[in-house]
Amino acid sequence: MRPAPPGRVERGPDRRFAADAAAHRRDVPRHCPQCGAPPALATEFWEGSARRFYCWCSACGWTGEITPTGATAVGHEPEH
Amino acid sequence: MLTAEQNDELTQVDAGTPMGEVLRRYWYPVAFTRELAEFPVKRVELLGEFFALWRSPSGRYGIVPEACPHRKASMAYGVVEPDGLRCPYHGWVFDESGACIEQPAERDDTRFGARVSAKAGVAEELGGLVWAYVGPGPAPRLPRFDVYVMEGFRDIGWADLPCNYVQIMENAVDPHHVEWLHGRYFSFIGRHEGFTSPASFAKKHVKVGFTPFEWGIIKRRVLEGASEENDDWKVGHPLVFPYNMRVGGGGVHQMQIRVPVNRTTTRFMLYTVHRPDEGYEHVEQPMVPDYRIPVLDENGRHVVNYVEGQDIMAWVTQGAITDRTTEHLGRSDIGVAMLRKMFREQMDRVARGEDPIGTIREEHERIDLPCEKDKFHAGARFALDFCDMGSTRFSPMLDTIKKIHVSAAERVASGSAS
Ligand code: FES
Ligand SMILES: [Fe+2]
Ligand SMILES: [Zn+2]
Repeated sequence: MRPAPPGRVERGPDRRFAADAAAHRRDVPRHCPQCGAPPALATEFWEGSARRFYCWCSACGWTGEITPTGATAVGHEPEH
Repeated sequence: MLTAEQNDELTQVDAGTPMGEVLRRYWYPVAFTRELAEFPVKRVELLGEFFALWRSPSGRYGIVPEACPHRKASMAYGVVEPDGLRCPYHGWVFDESGACIEQPAERDDTRFGARVSAKAGVAEELGGLVWAYVGPGPAPRLPRFDVYVMEGFRDIGWADLPCNYVQIMENAVDPHHVEWLHGRYFSFIGRHEGFTSPASFAKKHVKVGFTPFEWGIIKRRVLEGASEENDDWKVGHPLVFPYNMRVGGGGVHQMQIRVPVNRTTTRFMLYTVHRPDEGYEHVEQPMVPDYRIPVLDENGRHVVNYVEGQDIMAWVTQGAITDRTTEHLGRSDIGVAMLRKMFREQMDRVARGEDPIGTIREEHERIDLPCEKDKFHAGARFALDFCDMGSTRFSPMLDTIKKIHVSAAERVASGSAS
Protein backbone atom coordinates (compact mmCIF):
# COMPACT_ATOMS: atom_id res chain seq x y z
CA MET A 1 0.00 0.00 0.00
CA ARG A 2 1.12 3.49 -0.75
CA PRO A 3 1.01 5.89 2.20
CA ALA A 4 -2.01 8.20 2.29
CA PRO A 5 -1.17 11.42 0.49
CA PRO A 6 -0.85 14.51 2.67
CA GLY A 7 -4.09 16.37 3.20
CA ARG A 8 -6.30 13.39 2.46
CA VAL A 9 -9.45 13.44 4.52
CA GLU A 10 -10.85 10.08 5.64
CA ARG A 11 -13.87 10.12 7.90
CA GLY A 12 -16.06 7.37 9.20
CA PRO A 13 -19.78 7.39 8.42
CA ASP A 14 -21.52 10.56 9.60
CA ARG A 15 -23.74 9.14 12.33
CA ARG A 16 -25.54 12.45 12.90
CA PHE A 17 -27.57 11.80 9.77
CA ALA A 18 -28.10 8.05 9.97
CA ALA A 19 -31.87 8.66 10.16
CA ASP A 20 -31.87 10.71 6.94
CA ALA A 21 -29.86 8.04 5.17
CA ALA A 22 -32.28 5.36 6.40
CA ALA A 23 -35.28 7.46 5.32
CA HIS A 24 -33.69 7.83 1.91
CA ARG A 25 -33.33 4.08 1.54
CA ARG A 26 -36.91 3.58 2.69
CA ASP A 27 -38.58 6.21 0.54
CA VAL A 28 -36.51 6.41 -2.61
CA PRO A 29 -38.94 5.83 -5.53
CA ARG A 30 -38.92 2.25 -6.69
CA HIS A 31 -40.88 2.65 -9.89
CA CYS A 32 -40.82 5.05 -12.80
CA PRO A 33 -44.17 6.93 -13.02
CA GLN A 34 -44.19 6.41 -16.78
CA CYS A 35 -43.11 2.81 -17.36
CA GLY A 36 -42.84 1.20 -13.94
CA ALA A 37 -39.18 0.23 -14.23
CA PRO A 38 -36.93 1.00 -11.25
CA PRO A 39 -35.42 4.50 -11.74
CA ALA A 40 -31.74 4.30 -12.60
CA LEU A 41 -30.91 7.18 -10.31
CA ALA A 42 -32.71 9.21 -7.68
CA THR A 43 -30.95 12.11 -6.00
CA GLU A 44 -32.78 13.34 -2.93
CA PHE A 45 -32.84 17.02 -2.04
CA TRP A 46 -34.80 19.25 0.29
CA GLU A 47 -36.92 22.27 -0.55
CA GLY A 48 -38.34 23.87 2.55
CA SER A 49 -40.10 21.09 4.39
CA ALA A 50 -40.47 19.02 1.20
CA ARG A 51 -38.24 16.09 0.37
CA ARG A 52 -37.84 15.70 -3.36
CA PHE A 53 -36.32 12.96 -5.46
CA TYR A 54 -34.81 13.99 -8.78
CA CYS A 55 -35.27 10.80 -10.80
CA TRP A 56 -34.16 9.46 -14.10
CA CYS A 57 -35.51 6.27 -15.67
CA SER A 58 -33.09 4.61 -18.04
CA ALA A 59 -35.79 2.30 -19.42
CA CYS A 60 -38.02 5.03 -20.90
CA GLY A 61 -36.00 8.23 -20.40
CA TRP A 62 -38.44 9.87 -17.97
CA THR A 63 -36.85 12.63 -15.88
CA GLY A 64 -38.70 14.37 -13.09
CA GLU A 65 -39.06 15.11 -9.42
CA ILE A 66 -41.12 13.00 -7.05
CA THR A 67 -42.27 14.59 -3.82
CA PRO A 68 -43.96 12.72 -0.99
CA THR A 69 -46.61 15.13 0.33
CA GLY A 70 -48.28 13.35 3.26
CA ALA A 71 -52.05 13.34 3.70
CA THR A 72 -52.64 17.09 3.65
CA ALA A 73 -52.77 18.77 0.26
CA VAL A 74 -51.30 22.24 0.58
CA GLY A 75 -52.52 25.06 -1.68
CA HIS A 76 -51.43 28.66 -1.73
CA GLU A 77 -52.97 32.08 -1.93
CA PRO A 78 -51.36 34.96 -3.73
CA GLU A 79 -51.30 38.23 -1.84
CA HIS A 80 -54.72 39.80 -2.24
CA MET B 1 -28.50 12.18 -1.07
CA LEU B 2 -27.79 8.86 -2.71
CA THR B 3 -27.63 5.27 -1.56
CA ALA B 4 -24.21 3.86 -0.72
CA GLU B 5 -24.40 1.62 -3.81
CA GLN B 6 -25.07 4.58 -6.08
CA ASN B 7 -22.28 6.62 -4.54
CA ASP B 8 -19.98 3.69 -5.06
CA GLU B 9 -21.01 3.24 -8.67
CA LEU B 10 -20.69 6.95 -9.43
CA THR B 11 -17.17 7.29 -8.07
CA GLN B 12 -15.54 4.14 -9.51
CA VAL B 13 -12.71 4.52 -11.98
CA ASP B 14 -11.43 0.95 -12.28
CA ALA B 15 -11.71 -1.21 -15.38
CA GLY B 16 -14.73 -3.48 -15.35
CA THR B 17 -16.90 -1.08 -13.32
CA PRO B 18 -19.70 0.74 -15.20
CA MET B 19 -18.17 4.17 -14.61
CA GLY B 20 -14.62 2.93 -15.19
CA GLU B 21 -15.75 1.71 -18.61
CA VAL B 22 -17.28 5.12 -19.40
CA LEU B 23 -14.08 6.89 -18.37
CA ARG B 24 -12.04 4.62 -20.65
CA ARG B 25 -13.83 6.12 -23.68
CA TYR B 26 -12.05 9.46 -23.36
CA TRP B 27 -8.59 10.89 -23.99
CA TYR B 28 -6.64 12.25 -21.01
CA PRO B 29 -3.56 14.45 -20.70
CA VAL B 30 -0.94 12.23 -19.03
CA ALA B 31 2.24 14.27 -19.40
CA PHE B 32 3.54 17.66 -20.34
CA THR B 33 5.25 17.71 -23.73
CA ARG B 34 8.16 19.25 -21.85
CA GLU B 35 8.62 16.13 -19.68
CA LEU B 36 9.18 13.73 -22.55
CA ALA B 37 11.43 16.24 -24.27
CA GLU B 38 13.58 16.18 -21.12
CA PHE B 39 13.50 12.40 -20.72
CA PRO B 40 11.68 10.25 -23.26
CA VAL B 41 9.91 7.71 -21.03
CA LYS B 42 7.59 8.29 -18.12
CA ARG B 43 5.59 6.25 -15.65
CA VAL B 44 1.96 7.29 -15.81
CA GLU B 45 -0.97 6.46 -13.57
CA LEU B 46 -4.40 6.85 -15.11
CA LEU B 47 -7.78 5.48 -13.95
CA GLY B 48 -6.07 3.34 -11.33
CA GLU B 49 -3.67 1.64 -13.77
CA PHE B 50 0.02 2.20 -14.42
CA PHE B 51 1.52 2.69 -17.86
CA ALA B 52 4.82 3.45 -19.55
CA LEU B 53 4.56 6.40 -21.91
CA TRP B 54 7.36 7.10 -24.34
CA ARG B 55 8.37 9.38 -27.17
CA SER B 56 10.31 7.80 -30.01
CA PRO B 57 13.30 9.62 -31.53
CA SER B 58 11.09 10.44 -34.53
CA GLY B 59 8.54 12.15 -32.26
CA ARG B 60 5.83 9.48 -32.12
CA TYR B 61 4.27 8.60 -28.79
CA GLY B 62 3.42 5.18 -27.41
CA ILE B 63 1.77 3.91 -24.23
CA VAL B 64 1.73 0.35 -22.85
CA PRO B 65 0.83 -1.09 -19.44
CA GLU B 66 3.75 -0.72 -17.08
CA ALA B 67 4.41 -4.40 -16.38
CA CYS B 68 6.41 -6.18 -19.08
CA PRO B 69 4.51 -9.27 -20.28
CA HIS B 70 7.71 -11.32 -19.81
CA ARG B 71 8.37 -11.19 -16.06
CA LYS B 72 6.66 -7.93 -15.09
CA ALA B 73 9.57 -5.54 -14.70
CA SER B 74 8.64 -1.92 -15.25
CA MET B 75 8.61 -0.76 -18.85
CA ALA B 76 8.70 2.77 -17.43
CA TYR B 77 12.44 2.09 -17.00
CA GLY B 78 12.61 0.98 -20.60
CA VAL B 79 15.08 1.95 -23.28
CA VAL B 80 13.57 4.20 -25.92
CA GLU B 81 14.62 2.98 -29.35
CA PRO B 82 13.61 3.92 -32.89
CA ASP B 83 11.24 0.96 -33.25
CA GLY B 84 9.72 0.93 -29.79
CA LEU B 85 10.32 0.58 -26.09
CA ARG B 86 12.83 -2.04 -24.90
CA CYS B 87 12.27 -3.63 -21.49
CA PRO B 88 15.31 -2.87 -19.27
CA TYR B 89 15.37 -6.41 -17.81
CA HIS B 90 15.79 -8.87 -20.74
CA GLY B 91 15.45 -6.54 -23.69
CA TRP B 92 12.10 -7.48 -25.20
CA VAL B 93 10.90 -4.70 -27.50
CA PHE B 94 7.30 -3.51 -27.91
CA ASP B 95 6.21 -1.15 -30.65
CA GLU B 96 3.48 1.51 -30.46
CA SER B 97 0.82 -1.05 -31.35
CA GLY B 98 1.95 -3.15 -28.38
CA ALA B 99 3.34 -5.91 -30.59
CA CYS B 100 6.40 -7.68 -29.20
CA ILE B 101 8.92 -7.29 -31.99
CA GLU B 102 12.05 -8.67 -30.31
CA GLN B 103 12.79 -11.42 -27.77
CA PRO B 104 16.58 -11.33 -27.88
CA ALA B 105 17.23 -14.41 -25.71
CA GLU B 106 14.97 -16.64 -27.78
CA ARG B 107 16.14 -18.46 -30.92
CA ASP B 108 14.30 -17.91 -34.22
CA ASP B 109 12.31 -21.07 -33.67
CA THR B 110 11.44 -20.49 -30.00
CA ARG B 111 10.05 -16.95 -30.17
CA PHE B 112 6.43 -16.44 -29.18
CA GLY B 113 5.93 -12.72 -29.77
CA ALA B 114 2.32 -13.09 -30.85
CA ARG B 115 1.38 -14.47 -27.44
CA VAL B 116 2.77 -11.58 -25.44
CA SER B 117 1.60 -8.35 -27.06
CA ALA B 118 1.36 -5.50 -24.60
CA LYS B 119 -2.22 -4.25 -25.13
CA ALA B 120 -1.28 -0.71 -26.00
CA GLY B 121 -3.24 2.51 -25.83
CA VAL B 122 -2.66 5.42 -28.16
CA ALA B 123 -0.89 8.66 -27.38
CA GLU B 124 -0.68 12.00 -29.16
CA GLU B 125 0.63 15.47 -28.52
CA LEU B 126 -1.60 18.55 -28.56
CA GLY B 127 -1.12 22.02 -27.12
CA GLY B 128 1.85 21.21 -24.91
CA LEU B 129 0.28 18.09 -23.43
CA VAL B 130 0.66 14.42 -24.25
CA TRP B 131 -2.74 12.74 -24.37
CA ALA B 132 -3.54 9.06 -24.03
CA TYR B 133 -6.50 6.87 -24.84
CA VAL B 134 -6.41 3.48 -23.12
CA GLY B 135 -9.95 2.24 -23.84
CA PRO B 136 -11.33 -0.21 -26.39
CA GLY B 137 -10.51 0.39 -30.05
CA PRO B 138 -10.97 1.96 -32.42
CA ALA B 139 -9.93 5.06 -30.51
CA PRO B 140 -12.09 8.13 -31.11
CA ARG B 141 -10.35 11.33 -32.24
CA LEU B 142 -8.62 13.47 -29.67
CA PRO B 143 -11.03 16.44 -29.38
CA ARG B 144 -9.25 19.61 -30.47
CA PHE B 145 -10.97 22.01 -28.08
CA ASP B 146 -10.40 25.72 -28.77
CA VAL B 147 -7.97 26.34 -25.90
CA TYR B 148 -5.53 23.70 -27.14
CA VAL B 149 -5.25 25.07 -30.66
CA MET B 150 -5.92 28.80 -30.40
CA GLU B 151 -3.24 31.44 -30.71
CA GLY B 152 -2.19 32.95 -27.40
CA PHE B 153 0.25 32.78 -24.52
CA ARG B 154 -0.03 29.60 -22.46
CA ASP B 155 0.85 28.20 -19.09
CA ILE B 156 -0.35 25.23 -17.05
CA GLY B 157 -0.74 25.26 -13.27
CA TRP B 158 -1.28 21.91 -11.65
CA ALA B 159 -1.52 19.87 -8.44
CA ASP B 160 -2.34 16.30 -7.50
CA LEU B 161 -5.32 16.33 -5.15
CA PRO B 162 -6.16 13.54 -2.69
CA CYS B 163 -9.83 13.15 -3.60
CA ASN B 164 -12.16 11.57 -6.12
CA TYR B 165 -12.74 13.56 -9.31
CA VAL B 166 -16.56 13.41 -9.19
CA GLN B 167 -16.82 15.88 -6.31
CA ILE B 168 -14.59 18.23 -8.29
CA MET B 169 -16.90 17.90 -11.27
CA GLU B 170 -19.91 18.59 -9.06
CA ASN B 171 -18.28 21.93 -8.30
CA ALA B 172 -18.43 22.72 -12.02
CA VAL B 173 -22.25 22.73 -11.87
CA ASP B 174 -22.36 24.75 -8.67
CA PRO B 175 -22.37 28.42 -9.72
CA HIS B 176 -23.65 29.57 -6.36
CA HIS B 177 -20.46 28.67 -4.49
CA VAL B 178 -18.60 31.52 -6.18
CA GLU B 179 -20.22 34.30 -4.16
CA TRP B 180 -19.47 32.45 -0.89
CA LEU B 181 -16.20 30.59 -1.37
CA HIS B 182 -14.59 33.19 -3.64
CA GLY B 183 -16.63 36.12 -2.27
CA ARG B 184 -17.38 36.11 1.43
CA TYR B 185 -14.69 33.61 2.42
CA PHE B 186 -12.07 35.33 0.25
CA SER B 187 -12.77 38.72 1.83
CA PHE B 188 -12.64 37.13 5.31
CA ILE B 189 -9.19 35.71 4.56
CA GLY B 190 -8.17 39.01 2.96
CA ARG B 191 -9.14 40.96 6.06
CA HIS B 192 -6.91 38.70 8.15
CA GLU B 193 -3.98 38.60 5.74
CA GLY B 194 -4.22 42.25 4.73
CA PHE B 195 -5.34 42.22 1.09
CA THR B 196 -8.51 43.21 -0.73
CA SER B 197 -10.33 40.41 -2.50
CA PRO B 198 -11.93 41.01 -5.90
CA ALA B 199 -15.37 42.58 -5.59
CA SER B 200 -16.78 40.97 -8.73
CA PHE B 201 -16.50 37.51 -7.14
CA ALA B 202 -18.87 38.47 -4.35
CA LYS B 203 -21.74 39.54 -6.60
CA LYS B 204 -25.01 37.94 -5.60
CA HIS B 205 -26.61 35.25 -7.73
CA VAL B 206 -30.16 36.01 -8.81
CA LYS B 207 -30.71 32.95 -10.95
CA VAL B 208 -28.80 29.83 -12.05
CA GLY B 209 -29.57 27.50 -14.94
CA PHE B 210 -28.21 24.34 -16.55
CA THR B 211 -28.61 23.14 -20.12
CA PRO B 212 -27.31 19.80 -21.40
CA PHE B 213 -25.53 20.14 -24.75
CA GLU B 214 -23.41 17.95 -26.98
CA TRP B 215 -20.23 18.21 -24.85
CA GLY B 216 -21.76 18.26 -21.37
CA ILE B 217 -23.70 20.89 -19.43
CA ILE B 218 -23.78 24.65 -19.91
CA LYS B 219 -23.92 26.53 -16.64
CA ARG B 220 -25.61 29.94 -16.53
CA ARG B 221 -26.02 32.62 -13.91
CA VAL B 222 -27.63 36.00 -13.52
CA LEU B 223 -25.76 38.16 -11.02
CA GLU B 224 -27.21 41.11 -9.18
CA GLY B 225 -27.24 44.20 -11.39
CA ALA B 226 -27.24 42.10 -14.57
CA SER B 227 -29.90 40.45 -16.68
CA GLU B 228 -30.40 37.46 -18.94
CA GLU B 229 -28.86 39.61 -21.67
CA ASN B 230 -25.44 39.44 -19.99
CA ASP B 231 -22.87 36.85 -21.12
CA ASP B 232 -23.05 35.05 -17.76
CA TRP B 233 -26.56 33.91 -18.71
CA LYS B 234 -26.79 34.26 -22.48
CA VAL B 235 -23.53 32.39 -23.14
CA GLY B 236 -22.55 30.79 -19.82
CA HIS B 237 -19.74 28.26 -19.80
CA PRO B 238 -19.65 24.50 -19.98
CA LEU B 239 -18.77 21.50 -17.95
CA VAL B 240 -17.11 19.37 -20.62
CA PHE B 241 -17.97 15.78 -19.83
CA PRO B 242 -16.61 13.88 -18.01
CA TYR B 243 -13.62 15.72 -16.51
CA ASN B 244 -13.26 19.32 -17.72
CA MET B 245 -14.70 22.75 -17.33
CA ARG B 246 -14.15 25.58 -19.80
CA VAL B 247 -13.96 29.01 -18.25
CA GLY B 248 -12.63 32.41 -19.14
CA GLY B 249 -13.43 36.00 -19.86
CA GLY B 250 -11.60 39.28 -20.42
CA GLY B 251 -9.08 37.72 -22.82
CA VAL B 252 -8.35 34.69 -20.62
CA HIS B 253 -9.30 31.25 -21.91
CA GLN B 254 -8.99 28.29 -19.62
CA MET B 255 -9.72 24.60 -19.44
CA GLN B 256 -9.89 23.28 -15.91
CA ILE B 257 -8.84 19.68 -16.22
CA ARG B 258 -9.47 17.05 -13.55
CA VAL B 259 -7.84 13.78 -14.55
CA PRO B 260 -8.92 10.74 -12.50
CA VAL B 261 -5.47 9.33 -11.75
CA ASN B 262 -7.01 6.77 -9.43
CA ARG B 263 -10.15 6.66 -7.36
CA THR B 264 -8.86 9.06 -4.73
CA THR B 265 -6.26 11.08 -6.63
CA THR B 266 -7.09 13.71 -9.19
CA ARG B 267 -4.59 15.60 -11.32
CA PHE B 268 -5.96 19.14 -11.39
CA MET B 269 -4.67 21.30 -14.24
CA LEU B 270 -5.36 24.89 -15.16
CA TYR B 271 -4.62 25.07 -18.84
CA THR B 272 -4.67 28.78 -19.57
CA VAL B 273 -4.35 30.81 -22.76
CA HIS B 274 -3.96 34.55 -22.53
CA ARG B 275 -5.22 36.25 -25.62
CA PRO B 276 -6.83 39.64 -25.24
CA ASP B 277 -9.64 40.05 -27.76
CA GLU B 278 -8.10 43.22 -29.09
CA GLY B 279 -4.56 44.55 -29.19
CA TYR B 280 -2.83 41.18 -28.67
CA GLU B 281 0.70 40.81 -30.01
CA HIS B 282 1.85 37.23 -30.16
CA VAL B 283 4.73 36.13 -27.92
CA GLU B 284 6.52 32.97 -29.10
CA GLN B 285 6.84 30.02 -26.71
CA PRO B 286 9.20 27.18 -27.57
CA MET B 287 7.60 25.01 -24.85
CA VAL B 288 4.46 25.48 -22.76
CA PRO B 289 5.60 26.18 -19.18
CA ASP B 290 4.00 24.38 -16.26
CA TYR B 291 4.13 25.10 -12.55
CA ARG B 292 2.83 23.61 -9.34
CA ILE B 293 0.12 25.42 -7.46
CA PRO B 294 0.23 25.19 -3.67
CA VAL B 295 -2.24 22.95 -1.88
CA LEU B 296 -1.05 22.76 1.75
CA ASP B 297 1.18 25.10 3.76
CA GLU B 298 4.01 23.90 6.02
CA ASN B 299 1.49 23.28 8.82
CA GLY B 300 -0.61 21.01 6.66
CA ARG B 301 -3.39 23.58 6.27
CA HIS B 302 -4.88 24.43 2.91
CA VAL B 303 -3.53 27.51 1.14
CA VAL B 304 -6.72 29.52 0.74
CA ASN B 305 -5.59 32.99 -0.28
CA TYR B 306 -6.18 32.36 -3.99
CA VAL B 307 -9.25 31.27 -5.92
CA GLU B 308 -8.31 27.74 -6.90
CA GLY B 309 -6.77 27.10 -3.47
CA GLN B 310 -10.21 27.81 -2.04
CA ASP B 311 -11.81 25.37 -4.45
CA ILE B 312 -9.19 22.76 -3.63
CA MET B 313 -9.83 23.21 0.09
CA ALA B 314 -13.55 22.64 -0.47
CA TRP B 315 -13.08 19.57 -2.70
CA VAL B 316 -10.46 17.85 -0.56
CA THR B 317 -12.15 18.51 2.78
CA GLN B 318 -15.34 16.87 1.46
CA GLY B 319 -13.41 13.64 2.04
CA ALA B 320 -11.40 11.30 -0.17
CA ILE B 321 -14.70 10.06 -1.61
CA THR B 322 -17.38 12.32 -0.26
CA ASP B 323 -20.17 10.53 1.59
CA ARG B 324 -23.28 11.22 -0.48
CA THR B 325 -25.42 9.06 1.79
CA THR B 326 -25.46 11.78 4.45
CA GLU B 327 -25.28 14.96 2.34
CA HIS B 328 -28.17 17.44 2.28
CA LEU B 329 -28.77 18.93 -1.14
CA GLY B 330 -31.12 21.85 -1.70
CA ARG B 331 -32.88 23.25 -4.76
CA SER B 332 -29.72 25.25 -5.52
CA ASP B 333 -27.88 21.94 -6.02
CA ILE B 334 -30.07 20.88 -8.90
CA GLY B 335 -27.12 21.12 -11.31
CA VAL B 336 -25.37 18.48 -9.22
CA ALA B 337 -28.39 16.17 -9.54
CA MET B 338 -28.40 16.76 -13.29
CA LEU B 339 -24.70 15.91 -13.57
CA ARG B 340 -25.18 12.64 -11.69
CA LYS B 341 -27.92 11.77 -14.13
CA MET B 342 -25.55 12.48 -17.02
CA PHE B 343 -22.90 10.17 -15.51
CA ARG B 344 -25.50 7.45 -15.02
CA GLU B 345 -26.85 7.87 -18.57
CA GLN B 346 -23.39 7.34 -20.02
CA MET B 347 -22.97 4.11 -18.04
CA ASP B 348 -26.06 2.79 -19.84
CA ARG B 349 -24.91 4.00 -23.22
CA VAL B 350 -21.54 2.32 -22.88
CA ALA B 351 -23.14 -0.89 -21.56
CA ARG B 352 -25.32 -0.91 -24.71
CA GLY B 353 -22.17 -0.62 -26.84
CA GLU B 354 -22.78 3.02 -27.81
CA ASP B 355 -20.37 5.93 -27.67
CA PRO B 356 -20.87 8.17 -24.63
CA ILE B 357 -21.48 11.91 -24.92
CA GLY B 358 -18.59 13.94 -26.27
CA THR B 359 -17.12 11.16 -28.41
CA ILE B 360 -15.86 12.49 -31.72
CA ARG B 361 -14.86 10.20 -34.54
CA GLU B 362 -14.67 12.71 -37.39
CA GLU B 363 -11.51 14.50 -38.33
CA HIS B 364 -11.77 18.13 -37.24
CA GLU B 365 -9.68 21.27 -36.89
CA ARG B 366 -11.07 22.91 -33.81
CA ILE B 367 -14.03 22.61 -31.46
CA ASP B 368 -15.24 25.94 -30.13
CA LEU B 369 -16.92 25.77 -26.76
CA PRO B 370 -19.39 28.41 -25.61
CA CYS B 371 -17.80 30.66 -22.99
CA GLU B 372 -18.67 34.14 -21.78
CA LYS B 373 -16.32 36.94 -22.80
CA ASP B 374 -17.58 39.49 -20.30
CA LYS B 375 -17.23 37.44 -17.13
CA PHE B 376 -19.16 38.60 -14.03
CA HIS B 377 -19.85 41.70 -16.20
CA ALA B 378 -16.48 42.89 -14.87
CA GLY B 379 -14.91 43.71 -18.26
CA ALA B 380 -11.12 43.71 -18.65
CA ARG B 381 -10.70 44.01 -14.90
CA PHE B 382 -11.41 40.27 -14.85
CA ALA B 383 -8.04 39.46 -16.49
CA LEU B 384 -6.04 41.35 -13.87
CA ASP B 385 -8.07 39.96 -10.97
CA PHE B 386 -7.53 36.57 -12.55
CA CYS B 387 -3.73 37.08 -12.55
CA ASP B 388 -3.48 38.46 -9.03
CA MET B 389 -6.10 36.44 -7.23
CA GLY B 390 -5.94 33.10 -9.02
CA SER B 391 -3.29 30.45 -9.56
CA THR B 392 -1.49 32.58 -12.17
CA ARG B 393 0.01 34.40 -9.20
CA PHE B 394 2.30 31.35 -8.84
CA SER B 395 3.19 31.16 -12.52
CA PRO B 396 6.81 31.78 -13.50
CA MET B 397 5.24 33.68 -16.42
CA LEU B 398 3.23 36.09 -14.28
CA ASP B 399 5.05 39.24 -15.39
CA THR B 400 4.86 38.37 -19.08
CA ILE B 401 1.17 37.55 -18.76
CA LYS B 402 0.29 40.79 -17.04
CA LYS B 403 2.27 42.68 -19.64
CA ILE B 404 0.31 40.98 -22.39
CA HIS B 405 -2.99 42.15 -20.92
CA VAL B 406 -1.79 45.63 -19.99
CA SER B 407 -0.10 46.40 -23.29
CA ALA B 408 -3.08 45.07 -25.23
CA ALA B 409 -5.30 47.46 -23.27
CA GLU B 410 -2.86 50.30 -23.94
CA ARG B 411 -2.83 49.54 -27.65
CA VAL B 412 -6.61 49.61 -27.70
CA ALA B 413 -6.66 52.87 -25.74
CA SER B 414 -4.15 54.53 -28.07
CA GLY B 415 -6.13 53.32 -31.07
CA SER B 416 -3.25 51.32 -32.54
CA ALA B 417 -4.96 47.95 -32.19
CA SER B 418 -5.77 46.16 -35.37
S1 FES C 1 -22.49 25.18 2.91
FE1 FES C 1 -22.10 23.80 1.30
S2 FES C 1 -20.66 22.40 2.10
FE2 FES C 1 -21.16 23.68 3.74
FE1 LIG D 1 -14.72 27.84 -7.40
ZN1 LIG E 1 -39.59 4.72 -17.16
